[in-house]
Amino acid sequence: MKQGLRTFFLRHETILLLILVAEWCYFNSVGRHFGSLDNSFDIVRHSVEIGLLAVVMTPIILTGGIDLSVGSLLGLCAIVFGKLWRDAGWSVGSAAMGTVVLGALAGGLNATLITWLRLPPLIVTLGTYSLFRGVAEAVTQGVDTFTNFPASFLFIGQERWLGIPAQAPFFLLVAGVVWLLVHRTTWGRSWRAIGFSPEGARYAGIPVGRRLATVYVMAGIVAALAAIIYTARLGQAKADAGSGYELFAITAVVLGGTSIFGGTGSVHGTLLGVAAIAVLNNGLVHARQPREVGGMLTGLLLILTMAASVLPKMLAKARPTGHATGRNTQSQTNA
Amino acid sequence: MIKRNFRELSVAVALGLLLAFLAVAAPAFYQPQPLLSLLAREAPALVVACGMALVIISRQIDISVGSQFAVCGVSSGLLVAAHWPVALVFPLAILMGAALGAVNGLLVAGLRLPSIVVTLATMVTWREGLRWLRQGQFVNLPDGGQWFGMAQTTGQITLVVAAVLLLVLLAWGMKNLAVGRQVYAVGSDAEAARLAGIRPPLVTMGTFVFIGALAGLAAMMNLAQSPQVDPKSGMGLELKVIAAVVVGGVAISGGRGNLWGVFAGFLLLACISPALTHLHIQAYWEKAIQGGIILLAVVADGLRSRRSNRTGGGAP
Amino acid sequence: MNRFVPLLLMAGLLFAAGCSKAPETAAPAGPASTGGSGKKLTLGFMPKSKGNAYFISCKQGADEAAKELGVELLFDGPTDPDPAKQNEIVENWITQGVDAIAVACENKDGISTALRKAKQKGIKIVTFDSDAATDAREFFVNQATPEGIGYALMDEAARLTGEAGDFAIITASLTAANMNEWRKHIDARLAAKYPKMKLVTVRPCDDMKDKAQSEATALLSAYPNLKLIMAICSPAVPGAAEAVKQAGKTGTVKVIGLGLPNENRRYVKEGVTQSVILWKTVDLGYLTIQATYAVAKGELKAGATTFKAGRLGAMEIQGDNILLGKPFVFNKDNIDQFDF
Repeated sequence: MKQGLRTFFLRHETILLLILVAEWCYFNSVGRHFGSLDNSFDIVRHSVEIGLLAVVMTPIILTGGIDLSVGSLLGLCAIVFGKLWRDAGWSVGSAAMGTVVLGALAGGLNATLITWLRLPPLIVTLGTYSLFRGVAEAVTQGVDTFTNFPASFLFIGQERWLGIPAQAPFFLLVAGVVWLLVHRTTWGRSWRAIGFSPEGARYAGIPVGRRLATVYVMAGIVAALAAIIYTARLGQAKADAGSGYELFAITAVVLGGTSIFGGTGSVHGTLLGVAAIAVLNNGLVHARQPREVGGMLTGLLLILTMAASVLPKMLAKARPTGHATGRNTQSQTNA
Repeated sequence: MIKRNFRELSVAVALGLLLAFLAVAAPAFYQPQPLLSLLAREAPALVVACGMALVIISRQIDISVGSQFAVCGVSSGLLVAAHWPVALVFPLAILMGAALGAVNGLLVAGLRLPSIVVTLATMVTWREGLRWLRQGQFVNLPDGGQWFGMAQTTGQITLVVAAVLLLVLLAWGMKNLAVGRQVYAVGSDAEAARLAGIRPPLVTMGTFVFIGALAGLAAMMNLAQSPQVDPKSGMGLELKVIAAVVVGGVAISGGRGNLWGVFAGFLLLACISPALTHLHIQAYWEKAIQGGIILLAVVADGLRSRRSNRTGGGAP
Repeated sequence: MNRFVPLLLMAGLLFAAGCSKAPETAAPAGPASTGGSGKKLTLGFMPKSKGNAYFISCKQGADEAAKELGVELLFDGPTDPDPAKQNEIVENWITQGVDAIAVACENKDGISTALRKAKQKGIKIVTFDSDAATDAREFFVNQATPEGIGYALMDEAARLTGEAGDFAIITASLTAANMNEWRKHIDARLAAKYPKMKLVTVRPCDDMKDKAQSEATALLSAYPNLKLIMAICSPAVPGAAEAVKQAGKTGTVKVIGLGLPNENRRYVKEGVTQSVILWKTVDLGYLTIQATYAVAKGELKAGATTFKAGRLGAMEIQGDNILLGKPFVFNKDNIDQFDF
């Protein structure tokens, strides 16, 4: 039992949960209104878009891939949504459908290049990162902004529904679906398998190409959904929407304990990661600390949580084996 | 020869075509003074790209270079503004960059944390720390320090020559020195390298310290070109140099590529923006074109390896 | 045991949440106490982005006013200009129960929704530097309208080039909302008054001096007939000037723009940059906080025609715009009088 307790405390999610609790307690004692329900809902509303991207980034990173293009795609989708609604005269509903289709196609482009040509995801999505943002800027010439959306549409970004922020159900739905896929289906297991070893997965009979393609298409669809929610929350769509969101999303996923090399990780870890960052950034405003500190602390947090989950293992391994052989086993497991 | 260096050659051919097209469509591009200025402006980034090539060949990545560049630039700017002699600040900037690189190196090689995450964290930390301390204020340097005291043209030539010389030396060293081979060995298979008597953590540490030092050097090369230091400088530098390295044929999975390809890839990407200006094309499509070129380069590579896989029957 | 630990943690969380209730009851503050005579007012002051020298000098004036008036000033903004982040900070301040908010809007439509929400909760809103939708705020501290800035830049450019010739614009990014607004008025003025001048291109510099220098270098060789570079974001002015100087075109290619005196002093003195247009940023911050305070106290109401702003004296109000005065042109003769 003692062993069980120890592994529990060494688990990434636990460390993160403790950090979250510590953050909460600290900000609660410093900021008078931090603990209020209004503020908690604010935190939720402000982190839905990044949360969506982070959740859907989790299976990608589980397969050992990465998607740098989600932030740019969010911008492109926001523009296309605005264009379909305002210039093409579509209703909000059909414009949203059209945007989701575009998201799926854009994700499909990433997927094709990555699976069919077997190109490294980092490079492919670095290219589409520029491409998607560039097309968004070119289409609007940077100037065009879409506003004056109907109130019924703005509702999902700004109002409450049954007492909770109206965008929360969308987020819960996506998070729930992705969680089930990752943790309760053979798909999730094959994503992990691919993350551990794509060749091994192939020999085990997993259709690696198709499984990989799904995660990128899924990311495209969810990025489109995030774009719609973003537009509803701000009441406007512009070509610079979502700049830099990919880094926030990746940070949250990694902070949540998913290995950047693939194979291990969890969706609930990612949710904790999103929460830790969101609470930190919100809390610092209540604690009246400069915003730059938030960025620095996020960076430090990232290194500390990773080090915290790696160090004990390294120490544990170094101790029993002692001298020469100790280093061998260690580097073999890490290779 | 052609088959082995197909990627490097195709990038060089693309660059050649672009330059030839410019010679016909916009000969003004080749006026000596503006061209020299343009090259001098790009010299610092080329230096960083050389370091990035090494890091990527050793199967790591460093996205904190832009922030290292800014931190080194602003701190050495402050020292110069406090009338420290440039001859002293210069090595200090390089040392400082090396120290920042060592932080990455310790975390990556020592704790075996993934480099992309470590450098993501240090990128944010350095950048935000700098913003916090400087609040966006420029550092105004004293008069007369520009070009390290040389005449402008001499200074620009020195910078360009220094950057190219560094690249040539590295290209030679990577091929002919044992250290260079070790970088390739670690990048293609760390375990095999270890069995062959190389110490991979040491090599990794070395490449991170090296790219940090180069970021410090680049910061000084940038500092020489203007009498002010903008604390925002270096934002996006990491993406620029990673793109150049990758377009130049260095495999992101490590162990493959060379600096000549990086040189060609870097020039190709660096030429696009001024080329569009010279062709009088509006800026709206620039980002899309940059992205398109990156994709095109890797797609061409992917198609080729697909075909050779099918015909040659190589490993799946 | 494993299942027990999360429960413990949850209990800790609840306990922590409970702790926070105590101070809340001890100090029953919040937006309700707006205008209360004895209590120190809390004002939020938000720039478009932090780490921007322009807004830092605004803050200098704001701090001065806050000290005079004895109010607490919260200074916060996104690290990079981002309408979504501005929104979040406003909403954060609503929950914190600040008494009034002064904000420089990155993007009119992006922030107005959040500001209206604040207004509904009784928080007074004043905008400065760049306005929100008019129904989302009480007053706009107007240092210069986009029209005023656009016209001033274009007129200055025409004056320097003798109303004829090519010129180019360097902007922060193609999507920067306020710069696009200025460009609209520059274009309008150009079309209406200066038929012999031609805007050849607009280049973005990512709001970085180094990039502006590279862009200007390329512009100078690509457009040999260029008469003038107009830099409409502050880092671009010294960047363009350095490029012109290095190209040996000092005087033949003029440089004008919007920027801070300290960043441009050396180029103005050397005659590379002809004029830098800006308002007195410290006064802008000072006036904004004075006005925000008066609105929060209920001393300044819609319909007023003048407003007495501390050391600045009586300021004119047109409609719901409090006027700071015309944009100021810094040149060789007067730049040494200013240090910001």
